[in-house]
Amino acid sequence: MHPRFSIAITSLLLAISCAPISRAAATPVDFSRDIQPILSDNCYACHGPDAKARKAKLRLDTKEGAFRIKEDVAVVLPGNPAKSELVRRITTKDQDDLMPPPDSNHKLTPHQIELLTTWVQQGAKWGVHWAFIPPVRPEIPPVKQKDWPRNPIDAFILAHLEKENLHPSPETPREALSRRVTLDLTGLPPTPAEVDAYLADNSPTAYDKVVDRLLASPRYGERMSWEWLDAARYADTNGYQGDSTRTMWPWRDWVVKALNDNMPFDQFTVEQLAGDLLPSATTDQKIATAFNRNHMINGEGGRIADENRVDYVMDQSETMSTIWLGLTVGCARCHDHKFDPITQKEYYQLYAFFNNTPVTGGGGSGQTAPVVDFTTPEQKAKLAELAEHVQQAGVPITEFEKTLFPREEKQTPDASPAAKALSGNLVNELKRAPEKRGVDGLREMVNFYKAKEPQYADALAKLKKTIEARDQFSASIPRVMVMQDMPKPREAFILTKGAYDKPTVKVTAGTPAILPALSTPGQSAGSASAQSAAPDPSKQPTTQPSQPNRLALARWLVSPNHPLTARVTVNRYWQQFFGTGLVKTVEDFGIQGEKPLHPELLDFLATEFLRTKWNVKALHRLIVTSATYRQSSKITPDLFERDPENRLMARGARFRLPAFALRDQALAAAGLLIEKVGGPPVKPYQPPGIWEEATFGKIAYQQDHGDALYRRSLYTFWRRIVGPTEFFDTAARQYCTVRQTRTNTPLQSLTLLNDPTYNEAARALAQRLLTTEGSTPESRLNTAFRLLLARHPSAEEQSVLLQSLDRLKKQYTADKPAALKLLTIGESKRDESLDPTEHAAYTALCTILLNLDETLTKE
Amino acid sequence: MNPLAANRLHLTRRALFGKTATGIGAAALASLLGKTVARAETAPHSPPLAAGLLPHFPPKAKRVIYLFQNGAPSHVDLFDYKPKLREWQGKDIPPEIQGGKRLSTMTSGQKAKPCLAEISQFKQHGQSGAWVSSFLPHTAAIADDLCFVKSMHTGAVNHAPAITFFLTGAELPGRPTLGAWLTYGLGSDTENLPGYVVMTSRDKEASCGQIFYDFYWGSGFLPSKFQGVKFRGSGDPVLYLSNPDGMDRTVRRGILDDVAKINQLKLRDFGDPEIATRIAQYEMAYKMQMSVPELTDLSNEPKSVLDMYGPDVKRQGSYAYNCLMARRLTERGVRFVQVMHAGWDQHRNLNTQLKIQCQDTDQPSAALVKDLKMRGLLDDTLVIWGGEFGRTPFLQGDIKDTRQWGRDHHPYSFTLWLAGGGIKPGLSYGASDEFGHNAVENPVDVHDFQATLLHLLGIDHERMTFKFQGRRFRLTDVEGNLVKALLA
Repeated sequence: MHPRFSIAITSLLLAISCAPISRAAATPVDFSRDIQPILSDNCYACHGPDAKARKAKLRLDTKEGAFRIKEDVAVVLPGNPAKSELVRRITTKDQDDLMPPPDSNHKLTPHQIELLTTWVQQGAKWGVHWAFIPPVRPEIPPVKQKDWPRNPIDAFILAHLEKENLHPSPETPREALSRRVTLDLTGLPPTPAEVDAYLADNSPTAYDKVVDRLLASPRYGERMSWEWLDAARYADTNGYQGDSTRTMWPWRDWVVKALNDNMPFDQFTVEQLAGDLLPSATTDQKIATAFNRNHMINGEGGRIADENRVDYVMDQSETMSTIWLGLTVGCARCHDHKFDPITQKEYYQLYAFFNNTPVTGGGGSGQTAPVVDFTTPEQKAKLAELAEHVQQAGVPITEFEKTLFPREEKQTPDASPAAKALSGNLVNELKRAPEKRGVDGLREMVNFYKAKEPQYADALAKLKKTIEARDQFSASIPRVMVMQDMPKPREAFILTKGAYDKPTVKVTAGTPAILPALSTPGQSAGSASAQSAAPDPSKQPTTQPSQPNRLALARWLVSPNHPLTARVTVNRYWQQFFGTGLVKTVEDFGIQGEKPLHPELLDFLATEFLRTKWNVKALHRLIVTSATYRQSSKITPDLFERDPENRLMARGARFRLPAFALRDQALAAAGLLIEKVGGPPVKPYQPPGIWEEATFGKIAYQQDHGDALYRRSLYTFWRRIVGPTEFFDTAARQYCTVRQTRTNTPLQSLTLLNDPTYNEAARALAQRLLTTEGSTPESRLNTAFRLLLARHPSAEEQSVLLQSLDRLKKQYTADKPAALKLLTIGESKRDESLDPTEHAAYTALCTILLNLDETLTKE
Repeated sequence: MNPLAANRLHLTRRALFGKTATGIGAAALASLLGKTVARAETAPHSPPLAAGLLPHFPPKAKRVIYLFQNGAPSHVDLFDYKPKLREWQGKDIPPEIQGGKRLSTMTSGQKAKPCLAEISQFKQHGQSGAWVSSFLPHTAAIADDLCFVKSMHTGAVNHAPAITFFLTGAELPGRPTLGAWLTYGLGSDTENLPGYVVMTSRDKEASCGQIFYDFYWGSGFLPSKFQGVKFRGSGDPVLYLSNPDGMDRTVRRGILDDVAKINQLKLRDFGDPEIATRIAQYEMAYKMQMSVPELTDLSNEPKSVLDMYGPDVKRQGSYAYNCLMARRLTERGVRFVQVMHAGWDQHRNLNTQLKIQCQDTDQPSAALVKDLKMRGLLDDTLVIWGGEFGRTPFLQGDIKDTRQWGRDHHPYSFTLWLAGGGIKPGLSYGASDEFGHNAVENPVDVHDFQATLLHLLGIDHERMTFKFQGRRFRLTDVEGNLVKALLA
């Protein structure tokens, strides 16, 4: 076992973290767990890695700094608190000497002071931040309740519970487990037949069979893609002004397929970060790199191209850092990181990996080259025809401009004295041949010349029309923005305060010194499966890069000795299944991040992930087959008091389903869901006027019809400036987001009660119940419960709901027009042979069912 | 156990083990809806209010109405009178004034930078003698109630980053907005309406391409319940507010009661306090369905009040309507009302558009201040009027072509005004140079402005923080100085 984990969790830690756990016997203070967080949080801002912000030339983030002896005064004298200036400064009554200074708004608690003093007393053992040391596979801890663990996860959880004198919860009933695991692995509820098959299977492997079936389902990839798209800030438009459309969806389909194919995570990493640089890169490998280009594009008039470009490169390197390193390197954009050992120079060294594409930042197209172009021969012909129209429309313009802008023959019109007084925009247009002009510029020209030179303005207007026609057609053809490095890397510099126009010191691509060294170019650092993507170093491209490139970076991330990637990744998945990561700050494994309460479990999972060659499905199988996962999620008052946030996992996870899954669940239970994997995004119901209001009427929402209304939420068109209205608590898809948030607000209730999606689902579900032959109210209610909750209603529930049904029937019998109105919501056809009042009553009943806490919750 | 956790536990224990169903609902309501107590599992950080940390000192203002003028109103045509520009009309602005400062690409390529005098007429108004343009007669008439900050400056030269900077303290999207910080920190005084409401409008000619991004009212890393709720300009003000066709209030009430009954059974069996919250939130949704129509029903507004706001007041989605609605929201306890109006981006239509723009906004803005004052609300309501930057004192375009005159974005000096809520009325603070180009006397940057705003609400801007990604973030980042001279 690694020494860092040899110490039992002490009451000291628990007091710091306010964890709901009783005191155990006091044990030695641990630097990384107990001391460094205090120093970092309270001292590093002035005595940390950032040299520019450092006061009194004192740093407490290194051993040398903390143990400094100057003029016979030791900052920390191991074993001797009385002679340690640090201890004196944190305990003094002298307000001028007190640390942290009273005006810093930081104040140590008596407990923290005691910890620091004890640490010095005990010899002030120094250490390295836990997350920067590669995980070592821990031993499986012994437990008393030997019949509980199903796999090593459980041993770690149980060992901790036993230390706390807590017991795990009993296994959740099969029905509930079946719903939980099916929702978790496929994002959809189980069908009654699937539940029945599981209930009828008495073999010891019954549950494993269910899990295997779910992992093999194409729905698995669709479910697992969502959080990856959030992290990758995937959307169907650019964001910012104009918010033009892009066609990145083939990349989304690549993700779904990769997850369904169980592509090893190292290959998943290498192909997305640097697939273009693999030898003989396939089209798919190039498409994978669209990951990097999912960032927003700013087409605002007046933007400086290079400023945009720098923003994009920063976004790319920071997204990589959040997802793989779990580090907040963005903090080092303007200065050395205040807490973690990442210098500003290292920030720009990471930046330099992404700085080498031919993208200039100019223009606002969502199909800015380099792209993988999906144009078919027919589309090509049509494009040529439209281009010809543009060419034709340009001919009279050229003629007009000969007279309007007299100049020497070789010159362009902007050189004419007649162009001198024109605005910058117009001059820019005149620099370009007519067919190369932009729609916005032409609009401006038309306005400018409408009165002065009406004929010229007319010709310009015609040209604008043909250009629009060409552009519109062209934009509908998928061209996926991907990565490609220029033969010669662009020079990279440290930028003062991150400003694009304030470069200082030149840097080359490199990785932070605190992490393992990067292999030199040409060497492969990946594991077996990553190497299989690029097997032989000798077959590297003939032009050796002069500095390490993205491929080297990607391979470095998945090298077996990397301390972060595997931990950060398994932690994100843990969050997905259990609602909170083992490290709650999934985006920050740095010194200010949360220390894991179960460090051995985290390291076990990380090393297991490596051992299985980054096998994601195996990891998911391990999690969902654990006894930990299979516990009941009931909460007892005692357990709630001890552990309100369920960090110890003495019970199963219970939290509201993400909004996308709520919609999918409703569609599935209603029998409306259209299961078709992939393709262009779809536009389901949305209240009128949302896009129009956001874009001043320039962009209208054109809702789709037919099957497109019932596709999985994953395929919903995502306009970045105003995301789909039916999803709440979701990432904005503007920047990389990895932390899941869950709130509980009345606006969410209104959505679930009043969005036509759910009203229609209620109607369709009602119809499903009513068209089952020979059924009674009881049996219908039963069917509805099984479709939504995978169980039968209790006698109490049945009694409440049958009374509801009676009342609703009376209400709708008394008001048939209302019944008919309710049944017209949504575009799917209703079965007109059904009695509308009864159908409406059942629709309202299904609205109740769709809004039950249990329906909305993964239980 | 620390007091926060104890408090939380107390609430949830009450919620859990209250003897009656109403007991559960009431406890959950009190803890969750009214006073903005974040959930343990949804917000890892307890809000300052619940911890008794806020306000830091007695507030002067209890609520804020921010009249955000998107696109950047021209300070040199509206508030910042510079006779020197008339003298220099048509002549290039001296290079030592312009100083090669960064401009948007719309004028950075333009070789000539001829000075352009105000296109309106300036006069001094009221006892305070504030300079206000003839384009803004209604604002001029209440000059003594206003405090003009004439030395604002910012770092951004493009709209979206500059607006984001004003509202979040950072140029790139992703930080919480002012309204989110305030509802997070101070909670809400209403149980039936969101604590942070946003309304948008634009000029009638739609001359301006500015877009209202949802991150202008986002909650950034704060829990999403603190994000602004955008009231829409047409139809239901709140999305999904209306019951579906064919489901009246009686049916809906019955449905909600049944949902609550089953959820109570679940709560009894499972003990998850989140269930109590859900019961409460459904009830709150129902209340909101009642209170929003009441809010937007103007039938009880006296004609004199409606007239004060001008002819557009009854048109949903107009600036005038939004100003009136801001007052009505304020009366009902909403903490932060953000009214955004686009249309101030006069790059090439200064002579035609600026006046129209002023006509649309001048009267409602002034009416709001007067209306609040009449009701005694102005004393503890802070009203802010201003854009994201100013406009160049020199011309964009061709000086001969008056119809196409324009001014480009200008971050180096501009004016905004404040009223009510602890602000010194009748003050003109700070000054730009004689060309209106650079803020030279008592310059106020955006973080200073934000620090001052928070101060008025009883918050020390350095002490309201939220830990995210290992760092304690604040609205004012690492900057910001209180501008004491603005305080009454």
